[in-house]
Amino acid sequence: MVDLSQYLPILIFMGIALALSAAFILLPMGVARLTGAHKPDAEKLSEYECGFPAFEDPRSQFDVRFYLVAILFIIFDLEAAFLFPWAVSLDLTGWAGWITMMIFLGELVIGYIYAWKKGALEWE
Amino acid sequence: MDFTASLALIAPEILLSVSGLVLLLAGAWMGDGASRLVSYAAVAVLAVCAFMVAPALCSGAMGPDTVAFGGQFRADAFASFAKLLIYAAGGAALLVAPAFFERHGAMRAEYPVLVLFAVLGMGLMVSAGDLLTLYIGLELNSLSAYVLAAFLRTDERSAEAGLKYFVLGALASGILLFGMSLTYGFTGTTTFEGIRTALSGGLSTGALFGVIFMLAGLAFKIAAVPFHMWTPDVYEGAPTPVTTFFATAPKVAAVGLTMRVAMDAFGKQESAWQQVIIFAALASIVVGALGAIGQVNIKRLLAYSSINNVGFILIGLAAATQAGASAMLVYLSIYVAMSVGGFVAVLMLKDADGEAVEAIADIAGLSRTQPLLALCLAAVMFSLAGIPPLFGFWGKFVVFQAAVQADMIALAAIGIAASVIGAFYYLKIVKIMYFDEPVNKVHGKSDWIHWALLAVSAIFISPLGYLLTRWLGSLADKAAAALLFAA
Amino acid sequence: MIQAIVFAPLLAALIAGLGNRMIGNTAAKAVTTAGLFLSCALSWPIFIGFVTGSAEAGVTPVLQWVQSGTLSFDWALRVDALTAVMLVVITTVSALVHLYSWGYMEEDLDQPRFFAYLSLFTFAMLMLVTADNLVQMFFGWEGVGLASYLLIGFWFKKPSACAAAIKAFVVNRVGDLGFMLGIFGTWLVFQTTSIPEILAAAPAMKGASTIGFLGARVDTMTVLCILLFIGAMGKSAQLGLHTWLPDAMEGPTPVSALIHAATMVTAGVFMVCRLSPMFEAAPVALAFVTVIGALTCFFAATVGTCQWDIKRVIAYSTCSQLGYMFFAAGVGAYGAAMFHLFTHAFFKALLFLGAGSVIHAMHHEQDMRYYGDLRRHIPITFWVMTAGTLAITGVGVIGVFGFAGFYSKDAILEAAFGSGTELGTLAFMLGSFAALLTSFYSWRLVFLTFFGKPRWAGSEHIQHAVHDEHHHADDAHGHGHADHGDGTAGYHPHESPWSMLVPILVLSVGAVFAGFVFNDTFINRESFWNGAIFYNEHLIHAMHHVPLWVKLTPGMVMLIGLFIAWNNYIRNPALPAAFVNNFRQLHAFVYNKWYFDELYNFLFVRPAFWLGRQFWKIGDIGIIDRFGPNGAAWVVARGSGYAQKVQSGYLYSYALIMLLGLVAAISWVMVK
Repeated sequence: MVDLSQYLPILIFMGIALALSAAFILLPMGVARLTGAHKPDAEKLSEYECGFPAFEDPRSQFDVRFYLVAILFIIFDLEAAFLFPWAVSLDLTGWAGWITMMIFLGELVIGYIYAWKKGALEWE
Repeated sequence: MDFTASLALIAPEILLSVSGLVLLLAGAWMGDGASRLVSYAAVAVLAVCAFMVAPALCSGAMGPDTVAFGGQFRADAFASFAKLLIYAAGGAALLVAPAFFERHGAMRAEYPVLVLFAVLGMGLMVSAGDLLTLYIGLELNSLSAYVLAAFLRTDERSAEAGLKYFVLGALASGILLFGMSLTYGFTGTTTFEGIRTALSGGLSTGALFGVIFMLAGLAFKIAAVPFHMWTPDVYEGAPTPVTTFFATAPKVAAVGLTMRVAMDAFGKQESAWQQVIIFAALASIVVGALGAIGQVNIKRLLAYSSINNVGFILIGLAAATQAGASAMLVYLSIYVAMSVGGFVAVLMLKDADGEAVEAIADIAGLSRTQPLLALCLAAVMFSLAGIPPLFGFWGKFVVFQAAVQADMIALAAIGIAASVIGAFYYLKIVKIMYFDEPVNKVHGKSDWIHWALLAVSAIFISPLGYLLTRWLGSLADKAAAALLFAA
Repeated sequence: MIQAIVFAPLLAALIAGLGNRMIGNTAAKAVTTAGLFLSCALSWPIFIGFVTGSAEAGVTPVLQWVQSGTLSFDWALRVDALTAVMLVVITTVSALVHLYSWGYMEEDLDQPRFFAYLSLFTFAMLMLVTADNLVQMFFGWEGVGLASYLLIGFWFKKPSACAAAIKAFVVNRVGDLGFMLGIFGTWLVFQTTSIPEILAAAPAMKGASTIGFLGARVDTMTVLCILLFIGAMGKSAQLGLHTWLPDAMEGPTPVSALIHAATMVTAGVFMVCRLSPMFEAAPVALAFVTVIGALTCFFAATVGTCQWDIKRVIAYSTCSQLGYMFFAAGVGAYGAAMFHLFTHAFFKALLFLGAGSVIHAMHHEQDMRYYGDLRRHIPITFWVMTAGTLAITGVGVIGVFGFAGFYSKDAILEAAFGSGTELGTLAFMLGSFAALLTSFYSWRLVFLTFFGKPRWAGSEHIQHAVHDEHHHADDAHGHGHADHGDGTAGYHPHESPWSMLVPILVLSVGAVFAGFVFNDTFINRESFWNGAIFYNEHLIHAMHHVPLWVKLTPGMVMLIGLFIAWNNYIRNPALPAAFVNNFRQLHAFVYNKWYFDELYNFLFVRPAFWLGRQFWKIGDIGIIDRFGPNGAAWVVARGSGYAQKVQSGYLYSYALIMLLGLVAAISWVMVK
């Protein structure tokens, strides 16, 4: 069995964080409600953007290519993230560890080649 | 166990991944025109893999010789049994796909590659001996499946199916992962063997949470109530070849994985999960049956039917005995044949323009326009309803027998009673095909591959299937023995 | 040989019944009739063997039947003097009825079925009388009940025939329940169903033990015998369970002759005689038998005097004559009972078949008010009916010659008086009065039917027949409905075909001579019975030494009855109407059969219907259907609706249900 008590500080930290963030959000709302007049109308409730009326719907569609790039970025970002623990423990894992990582990298390279061939890396 | 022996044990998986990568590149370079070729190559790969795993099943392999990588992977008879079913179902899904997608101009080389990777993931699932193997297999399968569900990306329903599957799948993965974390936290190990040893003394509340969360996550994959909600929408929206695949291979893999987790890792704590499984089983039978009544789309109906069937399979798990495990495997084999037969028959329902006919009302009087097709579909329906001369009855019989032997007579009785509800809509299809006025919608011709697959399934579920009971039973017994080797 | 006698009718019935239209009418009729004549031909030598004393009683095993713990019985055919008597009665009457039916059923569309039923009945009856154990007897008992049901309802398109068939079956079930309880009780007490073993053990049981029955402790043998007798009451239509017999006349007339006069209805008498040593061990039961028999005898005779339907008169007559047989058995004169059974079979079958001949001549008109003067038209029928009437009324001169009934009925009355008991005397008095009534209604039947003026112009059946005839002849004569003014409406009855007349003539020989020839054998020769029935030497002695006025009584009352009938229906035909007007209530009471049907209707039928309706409306529809099939279907339909409603298609609801399921599972295992 693992002693869960060592995770207690993290739990306390999370609790404090939650309490603080809640306070920051709710406190001004509460104070405003208690002190100010509360008479909403359509004008007051409309979006406020630097003094101008909003130009367009804030939920605009993004070009799917952003997602594609983002996904490819995440993949190789994760690859890099895997490389750090591998690098520092290579003296323990030895050749087996080295070969395994090479296979992993090789597979990612194949994926990269596929994406390249399919034109996923070209913007237009 | 040294490294080379481990590599030899995972040879089918290596072959699958390497050929998947090769076919991926081949598809990328040769273009979509070669997708039929890629598909057949993938079928060939599956066939080779099947030959590679078959010996382990026939010899009833079990024990330390089948464990690779220090307990992370097991290539025993149980895994082989499940893999053979998975390969067969994957092969069927590959064979029927080109004709379907080509009509939509959407056949791509990625389809067979995704199927191969999904099959690889499922192989890992049924061979898992460790929570990490389990999770990697599951995710490999799931990610491929999400893409496959949305494979007709211009089709709204297909895209919706993919998205729903993905979101709910992610939720289920989260639940599963949380359960795994808890289990690891309270047992200090991720191997099934270790978990088993750690839990042999008793079950702390945290570990109990882990067990239930993990089973909930797995229940999503096998579409057991109440984690079944995605099934009708996904089955209906996904392209029919993909639905064929979903209804068969992942079901086998997820059930196999659940069996491993429940009976191996948590095998010492049956009482913790047995009642939950009993509830899931009965709820699946009832909800599957109730939901199917009143459906107008035959794919949706078959989706509910698969939920219903999962209920019967889980009765074998609830028994928590070797006979129960064996019965589940027998049921799975028959279920795969029935599902393949059913969905292939649905694929063959096409109107004069080759468009798929999915509305149940449109197959009225099919017996007069397409007698052979109607006969096969009727056989599938009767078999799914578990009406004796057909092989579907045998599956139900062995499952209920296992439950009775485990002194769960009430469970068996309720299950049998609830199966009556199910008989209603199966027979309704038969009635519509045979006794209603023909609407003459189904005209399309199908190629010989469909006919061959349909014929094989129909013969398997026909009374001739009973010739296989002894052989099938002995294989299932070997597999079940291998599963419970550690117990 | 006995196997051939018993199984030839079964074989014939199977061929005719299963072959049916395939083999055709003639073949079916031929095979069944041939089977019966074969049985008959084989039966007489057996009977004559017993009469001459050369035959031995014996048992022929057929098949093992039941071996279960201590309960064991087999199929076996027992032949002794009692069986031999029944064999000749059954096979002879049955064979003649088969032959008669060729003519009578000539125009029926369904003849193979009819003949198959007839032969099946004969087989069952033969099984009954050859039974060696009570279970086989019960088999035959139920077999004849079934055949009777089928034959009464033979014209199943007539609602009245169906109702009569059901009534016969249901009323018999009441008796059968008693019979079954009797058999069970007998097995309980004697640990065997074998009749010889029971009879051997019975005398020692007299008053030896008591048994709990319906919460009371009563004498064992009394209970057993009364239960068995209740079975006999049902089958033999004794007072209380008699209501089915008159209605059974809905069946074709040959059936009435065979089943409801000569054979089946006498099964109860046969059973009591067969088990006579057992009844002798239960004096109270015998007293019960005597009372019931005497009352039936009297009751049925009174009702018979008022009926208009020719077959119903004879039916009540049968009921009454069965009463004679029972009180004879009740006072211990089993030989006399069997003798009357024997003679009655001939003259009653004769009367029925004669009535059938009349009905055939009159186009199925059965109401005697539409007969009259038929002796000119159907003389042969007239003469044989007269012979039958002479036999039933017991015409004869002591010491010289008499018709069949003269010997048997007188023997019964003498035995009743000779028994010396109060009940015996009561039975004698009731029986004598019934003999007067018998004479009256029998001659009334003859006078109404064959004498006086033709009265059939008003009969619908005859009008139909005449209309049909004229319809064919219209063109030739030019005028259709001439009123001939003589009560004939232009219709002239014709004598029946020879296939019908021959059996009647043969039977009339029996009706005339059966008493004279066999009187000594049945009544006086213990060696003839040789233990087949309980033989009371003392009673026979007393019977022969009754005072002369007792011996003369039957003859006197017969003459009185004849005179009243002659006076009322020949000399002064207006008299009956005047009598009815004076004694309106008495007539209504008798005419309505003492209101038995109304009483039963009120006591049993309506409560049963009410109860049935309750079970149907509340129990079946209200509870079983509502919560069973319909309820389940409703639940499924509703459940299906809910299942589809939950399947909303919205991701968030799906996810919510998943999480709810998870929480529920966790909560459950935590609480557990």
